[in-house]
Amino acid sequence: MKKIVNFTIDGKPCQAPEGENLVKAAAANGIKIPSLCYYEHIDPPLGTCRVCMVKVDKKAFAACTIKAKEGMQVEFNVPELNDARKAMVEMMFAEGNHFCPACEKSGDCDLQGLGYRLGVTISRFPHLFLNRFIDYRPKRIVVEHNRCILCRRCVEEVNTKDGFPVFSFLNRGASTEVRVDYDQEAKLDEEEAIKAMHLCPTGAILVRGKTQPRPRGERKYDLQDAGQTVSTPKAGMAPLKGQPKKVIATTSLAGCFGCHMSLLDIDEELMDVIEVVDISKSPLTDIKKFNRRCDVGLIEGGCCNDENVEVLKAFRANCDILVAVGECAIWGGLPAMRNFVPLEECLNEAYGHATSDLEQGKVIPHHEDLPELLDRVYGCNEIVEIDYYIPGCPPDASHIWKVLKNILFGADYSIIKSEFKYD
Amino acid sequence: MGKKIIIDPVTRVEGHGRVTVHLDDHNEVSEARFHIVEFRGFERFIQGHPYWEVPALVQRLCGICPVSHHLAAAKAVDRLEGLDPEDLSPTADKIRRMLHYGQIFQSHALHFFYLAAPDLLFGLDAPVEQRNVAALAIANKELARKGILMRKFGQEIIRVIAGKRIHGIAAVPGGVYKSMTAEERDYFLDGQELPSVDQMIEWSLEVLAFIKNYHEKNAGWLDVFAAYTSGHMGLVNADGALELYHGRLRAIDAQGNITLKDVPDEYYRRYFSEGVERWTYLKFPYLTHLGRDKGWNRVGPLARINVCDYITTPLAEKERQDFKAYSGVMPNNRTMFYHWARLIELLHCAEIMRDLLHDPDILGSDLVRTGQRRSEGIGVVEAPRGTLIHHYEANERGKLTRCNLIVSTTHNNEAMNRAVREVARQSMGGHPSITDAMLNQVEVAIRAYDPCLSCATHAVGQMPLQVSLFDANGILIDERLRS
Repeated sequence: MKKIVNFTIDGKPCQAPEGENLVKAAAANGIKIPSLCYYEHIDPPLGTCRVCMVKVDKKAFAACTIKAKEGMQVEFNVPELNDARKAMVEMMFAEGNHFCPACEKSGDCDLQGLGYRLGVTISRFPHLFLNRFIDYRPKRIVVEHNRCILCRRCVEEVNTKDGFPVFSFLNRGASTEVRVDYDQEAKLDEEEAIKAMHLCPTGAILVRGKTQPRPRGERKYDLQDAGQTVSTPKAGMAPLKGQPKKVIATTSLAGCFGCHMSLLDIDEELMDVIEVVDISKSPLTDIKKFNRRCDVGLIEGGCCNDENVEVLKAFRANCDILVAVGECAIWGGLPAMRNFVPLEECLNEAYGHATSDLEQGKVIPHHEDLPELLDRVYGCNEIVEIDYYIPGCPPDASHIWKVLKNILFGADYSIIKSEFKYD
Repeated sequence: MGKKIIIDPVTRVEGHGRVTVHLDDHNEVSEARFHIVEFRGFERFIQGHPYWEVPALVQRLCGICPVSHHLAAAKAVDRLEGLDPEDLSPTADKIRRMLHYGQIFQSHALHFFYLAAPDLLFGLDAPVEQRNVAALAIANKELARKGILMRKFGQEIIRVIAGKRIHGIAAVPGGVYKSMTAEERDYFLDGQELPSVDQMIEWSLEVLAFIKNYHEKNAGWLDVFAAYTSGHMGLVNADGALELYHGRLRAIDAQGNITLKDVPDEYYRRYFSEGVERWTYLKFPYLTHLGRDKGWNRVGPLARINVCDYITTPLAEKERQDFKAYSGVMPNNRTMFYHWARLIELLHCAEIMRDLLHDPDILGSDLVRTGQRRSEGIGVVEAPRGTLIHHYEANERGKLTRCNLIVSTTHNNEAMNRAVREVARQSMGGHPSITDAMLNQVEVAIRAYDPCLSCATHAVGQMPLQVSLFDANGILIDERLRS
């Protein structure tokens, strides 16, 4: 039996066996420190992601690397540390290429779950858009390096039956990547490969034929409280009738119109909304030019050509508040997948040798009547200042309208788990 | 001297659709173009991804008809896994069909009530402020409420099957993730929380009665507006009936002669070529053996009603016969009849959904089948707006090596350009300046096709139009922004 020690977390008296790591010790005392690379039986814990950051005696540490000691004073739930932890997660989103809407692990991904828990809507760091490769060489596994967060779990845990490691770290610092030993990987049986897939906190390890995206409602972070506070929404309704209507404008830049469709998905409530809200310039109306000041502009889609940029600037100039609605508006979203491919290659693929028209030869559209394509897809906040971000692909209708009613009428609201998603 | 076109930043706002008109020495229209000005490059950046991720990824092409892309991709992925549509379990097939018909139902309801109805109810020259769904809702609450609830019904079918209304996930390689529970089914049948499927059929009939009446009263312009001959294409089933989920490709010419005789969808590449123009990002598909000039087809509701021999559900078949009785036995080549045809399909979808909801297979547990990997997969569905083709190649390791997508609106590219040209000729020819009424007419013609520019680009039905008028030397003589 280990000795039990007394310590405090944010002033709360706690007890744990001496030497227990702080993530585990805190959990035993009902305090859930966010963690990502942390995996139950890996001992000592990896300490690679730093998301479990706490302060012990005024100094910052990864909690998983700290052992419980008699009398230690731990700071955890304070604004500075909460923000630092959030920043860690944002960095991971910005460093890798995490296209949640296209990822089969979406809903079951620990990185995503942490983003939900910490309320990450946008990364404060610019996305790097580094073109990482997808490794199809292993026998059973596909390694999607775009999604790898270098947590080291697989390096520590995935071994063949005769004890040889399958994964290892290659290079150092920013160049670090996970390397696969193909010979050892080939020795894994299907069950072991699937175990490796589940060990990966993101969708970086996939097993051929054994993976599939699942519908919402069936997934880990749909079912389980990822730690996010859930309270009853109380989105109050609009102002008294008779007051002047509020005015909103909407546009779709490099988006798919799904966010506009979600806007309509409050169904019958639309009948009430139009009593108090005017939709001005919008593809849903015939008003194509700003003809009055708008209270709120809703932006769907990022910027992929110079016309998108002009439209966005016009919205900034004519709307009091701008809301980036959906992943594309927030950081480029799925269309930003083209950021890894030179523009000419994209155009060549689409027009150069699709179903060919031999007589005509190769024609790539380029004309004075077509906007100039930008070198890459940009998130809206790279072009103008954005006031609110609503994540999702598309965001939930109720999330959009709660935010709108808050901006327009000051209605209180809180977002529940099912309304806060990246996919 | 005139100037080169200068596009003011504001005039290009949401300019996903743009029209240019060229006049000759006699101020007659020599060329009119409908430009699609957006490009996203899915066909390239999708390469390198694992093929099984495609159904979730590629539906992000379009938030209006994501289910069509999800299912076309899923059918293609089935084939990559060695499964043809016939190989799927009855439950998987029927759940996917339910999803598909729910999607077309909501999309058609969206187009009619939210986008097109204001034109029809308020007239083409109604003030700008009136031409939208909000004004419609204020003017005619009951109609708007029905429209909203019809769209809702389709969206709820999608939500229950795919987990969410937009960009959900239902299909997996070789089948579906889940079937329906009895409670989920009853939600659509019992009329408690949601108007029932029988109510949907009733309302579809009501709106069909409206459109028939509208055609009788307005035959003067509806019969001639943007009327021009073309081929027509759509899927049909083995008996030649209207088919939206899986069938054979049939095309006919303007007189009704068969130009593509019920060929399996996998052979599309033998029959189609695509032209490219420098002035638009949207390609121009055509039947190779007929050539670019004669081989293009209209697609979508009107084309489908034209090519099919009959409709399998009785009420919609009766409506098809009424349509034929009104418009003649020859293929209908009149643009404004798209609305009517679309509503016949709306009814058909409601009938199919009702039949499926009463089919015990949708509660089944045989969900996924497996097969032998192939290197190529082609999936074709009739999306709300027409024939949608997805084509993928993947290597033996599962890496996607090639992708070709021909979206519905692409097939209608030539048709919409003709519509613009026809309407420009009819309304603008010989006039030195452009009036607002002329612009409106151009837009109404394009809108009839319900162009899903999200698939091709991003805008929905009512796009801002910039019309530029050039003289014989290509010099700009007038420019108007529809606003």
